[in-house]
Amino acid sequence: MRIARTFLAAAGLAATFASAADRNYYVYVAAESDDTVHLVRYGPDGGHLERTISVGAFATETEGPHGIRVSPDGRHWYVSIAHGMPYGSVFKYDTADNISIGDVQVGLFPATMDISNSTGLMFVANFNLHGDMVPSSISVIDTVSMMEVAQIPQGVMPHGSRASPDGRFHYSVGMMDDTLYEIDVMKLTVSRKLRLTASDDAIAHDKHDGHAMGTASPTWVQPHPTKPFVYVALQGADQVAEVSLEDWTITRRFHTQDGPYNLGITPDGRLLLATCKPHGSTAIWNLESGTELASVPASRRITHGVTISPDSRYAFVSVEGVADDPGTVDVIDLQTYKTVASIDVGKQASGIDFWKVE
Amino acid sequence: MKNLTQACLGAIVCLTVSTGLAQAPATVEVQPAELELKVGESAQLSAVVKDEDGNVIPGAQVLFFGSRLNLQVTPGGFVTAIRPGKHRVIALHPDTPIEGDPDYYTRSFEAGIRGRLEIEVPEPPLASIEIQGVPETVYTGTTSAVRVTGIDESGAERADLVPMLSVSDADVVQTDGFGTITGLAPGAASVTATVDDISATVAFAVAENPIRTLAISASQREARTGDFLHSAAIAPDAGGNIVEGVPISYSLINQPDLGHAEARGGGASAMILDDGRFVAEQQGVYTVLAMSGNAMARDSVRIEKRDVAREFEYLGHARVPGHLTSDLWIWEGQDGRDYAVIGSWGGPGTAYFYDVTDPENMQLVDTVTVDARTVNDVKISEDGRIGILSREGASNRRNGIVILDVSNPRDVKILSTYDDQMTGGVHNVFVYENHVYAVNNGRRFDVINIEDPTKPYRVSRFETDSPGRAVHDVWVKDGIAYQAGRTDGIVMVDVGGAGDVVGGSPEKPVEMGRADQITRWNHAVWPFKSESAGKFYVFAGDETFYDNPRVPDRDEYVFDKLPQRAGGWVHVIEFDDPKNPKEVASYKVGDYGVHNYWIDWDDEVMYTAYYQGGLRALDVSGELLGDLYAQGREIGRFFSDDPDAVVPNAPMAWGPQPHKGTIFFTDHHSGLWAVRLKEKEEDEEDAEAADR
Repeated sequence: MRIARTFLAAAGLAATFASAADRNYYVYVAAESDDTVHLVRYGPDGGHLERTISVGAFATETEGPHGIRVSPDGRHWYVSIAHGMPYGSVFKYDTADNISIGDVQVGLFPATMDISNSTGLMFVANFNLHGDMVPSSISVIDTVSMMEVAQIPQGVMPHGSRASPDGRFHYSVGMMDDTLYEIDVMKLTVSRKLRLTASDDAIAHDKHDGHAMGTASPTWVQPHPTKPFVYVALQGADQVAEVSLEDWTITRRFHTQDGPYNLGITPDGRLLLATCKPHGSTAIWNLESGTELASVPASRRITHGVTISPDSRYAFVSVEGVADDPGTVDVIDLQTYKTVASIDVGKQASGIDFWKVE
Repeated sequence: MKNLTQACLGAIVCLTVSTGLAQAPATVEVQPAELELKVGESAQLSAVVKDEDGNVIPGAQVLFFGSRLNLQVTPGGFVTAIRPGKHRVIALHPDTPIEGDPDYYTRSFEAGIRGRLEIEVPEPPLASIEIQGVPETVYTGTTSAVRVTGIDESGAERADLVPMLSVSDADVVQTDGFGTITGLAPGAASVTATVDDISATVAFAVAENPIRTLAISASQREARTGDFLHSAAIAPDAGGNIVEGVPISYSLINQPDLGHAEARGGGASAMILDDGRFVAEQQGVYTVLAMSGNAMARDSVRIEKRDVAREFEYLGHARVPGHLTSDLWIWEGQDGRDYAVIGSWGGPGTAYFYDVTDPENMQLVDTVTVDARTVNDVKISEDGRIGILSREGASNRRNGIVILDVSNPRDVKILSTYDDQMTGGVHNVFVYENHVYAVNNGRRFDVINIEDPTKPYRVSRFETDSPGRAVHDVWVKDGIAYQAGRTDGIVMVDVGGAGDVVGGSPEKPVEMGRADQITRWNHAVWPFKSESAGKFYVFAGDETFYDNPRVPDRDEYVFDKLPQRAGGWVHVIEFDDPKNPKEVASYKVGDYGVHNYWIDWDDEVMYTAYYQGGLRALDVSGELLGDLYAQGREIGRFFSDDPDAVVPNAPMAWGPQPHKGTIFFTDHHSGLWAVRLKEKEEDEEDAEAADR
């Protein structure tokens, strides 16, 4: 069911469709084609656009804020600015006033990023959308001093930067080399690689002749909050693969709608969410049983990112839209699997991250 | 647990000083406490983690890191100095994961426990210095400037030297100590430069100055502000023969006409070069002095006001409601009528086509919407049949270009798209002789054959090898492509116009030369062959935006309708010798910021979209030198105020194009405009009418 939507723009009007929350939930979302970041609130009075913050340095260039991450203590947020001259950068903002307090240049087209909560180091996937199928890197940033301390070589078009819950390992995927990479945060080197394939048969075939199949096109990796597994979105194969960190093998495959892109797992470890980008929906799976519980249609075309409230109650999905559409944040109730609010933001809503509940 | 086990392996410093029961870590201490390293030197650091009582915690993990551009730091603490300066190394004991109820973030996040070490990396000592510019013979009464360069022990050239100069015989030669030597009496002499106990000496001879008299005459006795005058002196010896090779220095006595307001408190009113070439900014009488030894000559010229100012007349305006607009192209269609296409920015990916035959009544005749948020650039082929749109913000992020059939601008058709390896976005394009030159991902330009516009294919790519290269624009004229970009400045590339000696072609672009742009803001480029000056110039435009702290809670300039403040200016580069380009003049209008421009080669007028400064027309006739704005070369200005613009009454002129006597231009905030430069007589008639 497509849900009617109220265009909110900067007025901050509410768009609420079901029972409201009993607390206020805040998320930050980047709008890649408007060079803006938005603070969105969902609470007892519905969904609201609280703030719009211009990012980037050139008013007449589209600089493309893509990834966004809130620090584990909630005091800062970080946004990756994809297009630079030519290198992209990461800006650090204070959540108290949304004022930029630092920046650092990284690699080509920085996209997703995550912060190790054991070190405070940020790992930025230099996606390099510049068309050349060449290996890129993960930039490592000290989020205190905002200096780049390392560039760790990676595969082609790295994406889906996520740190393990204990902050000791980092995971990303090479979208165009079908590889899962694990970085040892204490060594700042790649510790393990895993070839990702569209089927288990392909794994055997891959082992046999040594050639990559090149069809998985992984775009995201999401560590389980408590168990030794990571989940990888195989966009090209319409699957999510479960990878055992103990055996370093694919242990389960979840077959999804078209193009699973970003993933989220509820902090209680119960649900797996996958934005199915071209399908325009969010799939919700029970991780224990491996069954799909719902496929929630987005309020407009092209779903992108997903972040989940710490109480595992709501999911916030960024929806890009097309052309002149605004981007949108859809709020999904994870008890009813229904969209309870849609809040319009800037064009091509992309990276999204949870800030706080109060 | 497995992860933790793995993390303890490898190059981690795990110190095991026994201190009894494990305590909560409180501090990290780095050893040594102080360290100085020369560039290239290395040292092994260590660290201990202590509890609140100062006891060392055995086996505590520490991760070392520092700025990778200045230091090479391994996670285990082996550090190598890369660049001079004071650099910080951090030794980090990892924090434990956040515990408790994460809803409220009650636990402070400290990003681990950190120890710090400041490492001093001194500038490498100078290895050698060299004195340059000392002639073999210095003539009495003449002064020569010398320059001292140095190489440090790392092999790097040092540009920050402050040398002390001394001379061998103060009766023969003297120095001001800063960088000049002056001959006093014939004899052998030398000059010595000293920096940090490193010295270099150059010997030379001081000879009697053969010049007894000087003669000078300016190339014109009367001229206008901004006119370039030659005032070279000649020096006959006692026999009447012209003396060559003896320095002659020039200076000016300025007598600006104080009857003009701009002459009062106006600062320097003229400039003169080392060879006597001269240009004035204000009207008045100027006396050029030529000097060599005891000989001196003078000549005066009268400078009148350039008096080129004319008014722009408003003709028409076509706003694109609710959307920012970008570039434009004007052309005569197959039906003999005139058309315009303009792009849009941050919108639905639409290009707008207008019939502009009557500039006072411009009619929207078609639109084309493509999968993009920004159609930044639009270009039309020479025959008016093919249009090119650049794409940014495509929903599938493939971007590239869109090729149109515009033979009927009232019914434009999409022929094809081309995005192979152009996914990062195409910002600017040019179409020339069945090829599209597309700035690809801000890194290079691709050359795409469109002889069959339904089947475009790449034939070549031009990309410099400069580290961090960034390209913004490309323009093709007479078979030469001019690339503009921040890293390399202007790069002149033969794509078939330079002949067999260079041998370039669309399939094989060949670099001919480049001109650095020291601002690093290079954005646009326009070649200009000046018939009146007999010179070839390239105009290189900046683009930058000033930091502009906003009023709190009003930080979104479009939604809050606040304008941006752009900066930068136009650099004029004499490019007759592509291997030796020289920046000779500038066009800078206060604190406004330049964007795109168009030079009419026939009229020798440059039309400039000067962002918040509106549309400007500049007289670029004659040889160009110095500050073109201060010389009164500006012909006119038009501010595109529009109360109904996306940002109201805030001109943001984007790009101009003259066409059949009308100057069309786009404004980022308010769409397409048409104006006309009135003839001077019309201005005078209007003024007389107003008086009546």
